[in-house]
Amino acid sequence: MENLLHIISNIFIVVGTFFILIGVIAIFKFKDFFSRILSTSKIDTVGAITILSGLAIRHGISWFSAKTILLMILILIINPLKSHTLLRYAVISGHKNKKAKGNKEVAK
Amino acid sequence: MSLFYMSLLEIILWVILLFAIVCVIRVIKGPTIWDRVLGFSIISSKLVLIIAIFSSMRNTAYLLDLAIIYTLFGFLGEIFLITFLSKNVKERG
Repeated sequence: MENLLHIISNIFIVVGTFFILIGVIAIFKFKDFFSRILSTSKIDTVGAITILSGLAIRHGISWFSAKTILLMILILIINPLKSHTLLRYAVISGHKNKKAKGNKEVAK
Repeated sequence: MSLFYMSLLEIILWVILLFAIVCVIRVIKGPTIWDRVLGFSIISSKLVLIIAIFSSMRNTAYLLDLAIIYTLFGFLGEIFLITFLSKNVKERG
């Protein structure tokens, strides 16, 4: 039973790390700010939640898992708020989309 | 797989630390200031993960309070940073 929990939690943690790898690639692949923030904030939240659920499974029913679940709920609430505020104030303060290679029609 | 015995959690710890350092490049290179704030928020969310994994490695629960409080105050600090920036930033491009 013990190493079954460890195997499952290891799978979750590796998959979460793979998500975060995609997030880091997305930061450098996209050329303009808007598509960059759209992808990284979502992928980062998913990666964080996958890794934290893996950690919670590893410790079974304990204070550690309770705190990890609380941390997951907080991250689920706070990350979208962060990205929304950042995006909203960027648009308000006049951040326009320059003529990036990828999306010419946006620049019009 | 590795020269000396490193548990999976330690490897994941180093990998996520590497990702955080790679995000510093985005903070440095970011054309606009908003990319820099985005890089900063990505790094702080990765740091929360590093704290969680580290506390799991040591099998202690009190470090997770640190991660929770860091998430809350990171969010708070970023909101104040953004509201300040939106008034004072002048887009060069």
